[in-house]
Amino acid sequence: MLISVNWLRDYVDIPDSLDVRALAERLTITTAEVEGVEQIQTGASGLIAARVVSVGPVEGRANLKKVELDLGGKSASVVSAAPVLRVDELVVFAPPGASTLETGEIKSTTVADLPSEGMILPGSAIGIPAADQDAIFCPPSMKPGEAIDQAMLEDWVIEIDNKSITHRPDLWGHYGIAREVAAILGKPLKPYPVADIDELSDKKLPEIPITIDDATRCPRYSGLKMTGVRAQAAPLWMQTRLGHVGLRPIDCLVDLTNYIMADLGQPMHAFDGSRIEGIEVGLANDGETFTTLDGVERKLSAEALMIQSNRKSVALAGIMGGLESEVAEDTQTILLESANFEASGIRKTCAAIGLRTDASARFEKSLDPNNTVLSIQRFVKLASAEFPELQLASRLSDAYPNKLAEITVEVDPKLVARTMGHPVDEKQMIDILTAIGFGVESKDGKLSVAVPSYRATKDISIQADILEEIARNVGYDNIEPRLPEVQVRHFAANPQHITERNALRAFCLGLGYSEVHLYIWYDEEWLKRLGFKPQAGPTLVNPAAAGQEQLRSSLMPGLLQAADRNRFHADAFKLCEVGTVFKEGPDSKNQSRHLGLISARRGKGADDELFATLKGDLETWAWQMLGCELQYEHAKDEATPWTHEHKTANIVANGTTIGTVSVCPLAMRRNIDEHLAAWSIAWAEINLDQLHDFRVESKPLRRVPEFPEVELDFSLLIDATSPYAAVNDNLARFDDPLLRRITYVGAYEGKSVPTGKRSLTYRVLFGSPERTLAEDDVNALKASFEKHIGGCGYELRR
Amino acid sequence: MDVGELQQTLDKLHQEAKGELAAAKTLDELRSVRSKYLSKTGSVGSLMGTIKDYPPQQRGEVGKTLNSANKAIQELVTEHTDRIGSAEVAADAAASTAFDPTLPGERTRLGSVHPVTAVQWEVEAVFERLGFTIEAGPEMESDYYNFEALNIPQMHPARDLQDTFWLKNGMLLRTQTSPVQIRAMEKFGAPLRCIVPGRCFRYETIDASHENTFHQVEGLMIDRNVSIANLIAVMKLLLNEVLQREFEIRLRPGYFPFVEPGFELDIACLICNGKGCATCKRTGWLELLPCGMVHPNVLKAGGVDPNEYGGFAFGLGLTRLAMMKFGIRDIRVVNSGDLRNLVHPARWAGPVIVDKG
Ligand SMILES: [Zn+2]
Repeated sequence: MLISVNWLRDYVDIPDSLDVRALAERLTITTAEVEGVEQIQTGASGLIAARVVSVGPVEGRANLKKVELDLGGKSASVVSAAPVLRVDELVVFAPPGASTLETGEIKSTTVADLPSEGMILPGSAIGIPAADQDAIFCPPSMKPGEAIDQAMLEDWVIEIDNKSITHRPDLWGHYGIAREVAAILGKPLKPYPVADIDELSDKKLPEIPITIDDATRCPRYSGLKMTGVRAQAAPLWMQTRLGHVGLRPIDCLVDLTNYIMADLGQPMHAFDGSRIEGIEVGLANDGETFTTLDGVERKLSAEALMIQSNRKSVALAGIMGGLESEVAEDTQTILLESANFEASGIRKTCAAIGLRTDASARFEKSLDPNNTVLSIQRFVKLASAEFPELQLASRLSDAYPNKLAEITVEVDPKLVARTMGHPVDEKQMIDILTAIGFGVESKDGKLSVAVPSYRATKDISIQADILEEIARNVGYDNIEPRLPEVQVRHFAANPQHITERNALRAFCLGLGYSEVHLYIWYDEEWLKRLGFKPQAGPTLVNPAAAGQEQLRSSLMPGLLQAADRNRFHADAFKLCEVGTVFKEGPDSKNQSRHLGLISARRGKGADDELFATLKGDLETWAWQMLGCELQYEHAKDEATPWTHEHKTANIVANGTTIGTVSVCPLAMRRNIDEHLAAWSIAWAEINLDQLHDFRVESKPLRRVPEFPEVELDFSLLIDATSPYAAVNDNLARFDDPLLRRITYVGAYEGKSVPTGKRSLTYRVLFGSPERTLAEDDVNALKASFEKHIGGCGYELRR
Repeated sequence: MDVGELQQTLDKLHQEAKGELAAAKTLDELRSVRSKYLSKTGSVGSLMGTIKDYPPQQRGEVGKTLNSANKAIQELVTEHTDRIGSAEVAADAAASTAFDPTLPGERTRLGSVHPVTAVQWEVEAVFERLGFTIEAGPEMESDYYNFEALNIPQMHPARDLQDTFWLKNGMLLRTQTSPVQIRAMEKFGAPLRCIVPGRCFRYETIDASHENTFHQVEGLMIDRNVSIANLIAVMKLLLNEVLQREFEIRLRPGYFPFVEPGFELDIACLICNGKGCATCKRTGWLELLPCGMVHPNVLKAGGVDPNEYGGFAFGLGLTRLAMMKFGIRDIRVVNSGDLRNLVHPARWAGPVIVDKG
């Protein structure tokens, strides 16, 4: 929202010496964020009003007109590009010798072979950019040749961020901002200038009959009929101010309602008084159509609140008037509406019909119902200066069935000071609150604070709200930072956090994986390329893009996509993501945290090696962070396109299956493209939620044995199809008092190992705490272990 | 063999050994020559076993003769060990003159955490030192935790500002980490100090400065007598530690339904140091995080008595902070999974000699 400093000066004395940028900064810190400050400079001098005497064409130049002007005793002939000019109207004119920054000095010249003695100024030259190329018209009260006051053309404009005042209905007009500025500057706020309608009214004037069917949606409706208005230009000072705050001057009646909206924040609507008798406020008929004054026919639901007259809709309440009852060129009587509408109803209707206006934007903020009457009084004050024949044609009629509750907040000054962490005494609090319109009574060490109506619609209702008023006016920059004094409390560690941090530490800081963050929804296109159809999962009503509706149930599709992206720029890489995967169901329990790993290398045939090193990485992590060894179970139930039919294992930790490790089958890689087919990729996905109870227990370290121990290696030839785990189980059954440890060394297939067989090598450690083993002992142990191997049905490789 | 013949044989062996030792070029060769003569089975060593063949009165002399021959060869071995050793030392020294000790080391190829994670860990460390616990919460969240319990009822205008990803099952993707305020209060009660790093989602169009998926860290402190002065001090400390510079910060009014009063916290612009530039829209300040004193309704929703306890809360944009710290200009990089953007080249390629961006 744009704020004119000239306008503020009507209500508070802002010293000329005050730097507007400094004021804007104080406003930002105290009240609302200022987004920008702009000085409006027109450099205008020598401008006068001129009456249009005639408008004629310029041969061959459709965009130009030959205009004769009456300059008051003198006349002038100019060629003008102004799109609309009407005989007898007064325009802002720059005669030769006058100047503005935009036009430079005006000289007598020749345009299209015609003499042109001056220039009819467009809005942009005198600081009304919204009027752009249009001529600016003067009100009929001005005389041809009358000098135009240049001071009103120069101004400063402060832009307030609308988002920072959504909760402050009082700040949607200059008077509310002026109240804040007055408090900041420590100056008084001048009373709001209004007409005394009672004094102007004749008791015999009729009431406007107003019926409100829905007092929740329309707590108050005020109206006043008046005659003696006509279509004419608004005073120039009003047009310039509207221009400075980004509104386009149109016509005195429209400009008046716009001006008051920007002044007090209260939207008003002027109906053609000859077409409206009484007012009924009620809900629309479902499916009713209504043509708003922008000429659009709109279909309404039964939720839309309508202003009706004689059961005929005349306005979409609080949003826009109707085309039929609009004020026209020949209107002499108007019915002025100033009402209060409930915010959420307006929001709903605006959303339903897809129309938002300056008026509805304000009603959505919960406006002060007391502004309905105040704005009508303001209108009469301003209008009577412009329309000499203005007469009231009704009493000020006011239906107020749903009165705003008065709010008084009990405030403990000590608590306020303590919560601020800053010494503020009671007197300072009272001064601050009084300056911004609160009524304060001090009693028994407590403050009883009466909230003014313009802050009471939703903004302020509890002590913390009053605290904010005090604290922001003290200035947050005046509060000395101080660290809290607290009692120590121990919190049990969050296992999710610990598990995830440990996983990232192990894989990314230690084991060479690079962490990525990927989107939590699937991309349908990519799934198609993978050849993957996920089971039903949670789907978005409003996806970021079509095809990105479903939330992921696995990290792998995203990681494989990232791998496909990275393969252009690297020959080998390892990726890691810790993220959320989802299951269908309206419960936050239907999600879990997974760890996804990918190890990729350019070149076919490295599957087995990557599979083995990835498992090695998992084992290192498990040992460091879970405190256990991992086991693998041959996984038979092939599940996804990225799972290999044979080279897949379930990962088991302490008896729990915690994930899967596999390699990407060639078929899947080929589905993506030929390039990925030439890569080897191993992957693992772990459900981290199952690891919360794992604890790394410190294992006792071994003493160096007192007597030397003997290490013997045994290589077993076993069927290539029989699993390692079964061999282990069999070896573990060997028992001897001198046995210390059996460890797995490695597997071998190839030369000297017959086809269909695999050689597994184990290292067996023998020793005694009492003596050095003799050669006979060792021979006996060797024979005994070999016998055990034979007993298990395994052949020994010599 | 009589003693005289023995002596002659030993002299001959001594001469042979002397020649062979002098010819040895390495310690290994030396060792095999030594073994050839002096080991149990060597040509001198094996003669030791013949002592018992001599008459007892001669054995003393034979022993002496053999010992001195043995000793003489051993001395030659020692002499040549020194010769070859010194030569190796000299060769080693000569070879080392071309060694450049200033070359960079050969690196183990380590991994890397995401820039957001790196910043997150720094923030966590600051708060752990202040006695805050670190909590977590779900990304698929209910309307109740994301809005209602946070004093944002149905039809509240603040819901407009929080463009939400809604799910067909009635749940939503959390728009902020704030729902975990309620969850943490339910879990721990008061007093409470916690932070909650996590992912949030907003339904908005992605461009260089807007993402629909980003990280925040929520902070919540509830105790008796928590003040605005405390909030300012903690925020200042956090930013100074994480950005490793002293920063001017300022609070100004900001409206968020779950706090009262609510603030926007700005820091002096990092680019222009507060003088005003394009990044800070000429204001000299950058909007960094919303914060405020916890609204009594939020305390109540979390089961905490607002008459007894109060507190502050804040929501720091981790993604934004990571972008500032790592100089990431385009936010789309963050969720791209593209390692060229996420990992500094020196990490993999070795030291960077010229870097022009
Ligand atoms: Zn800057």
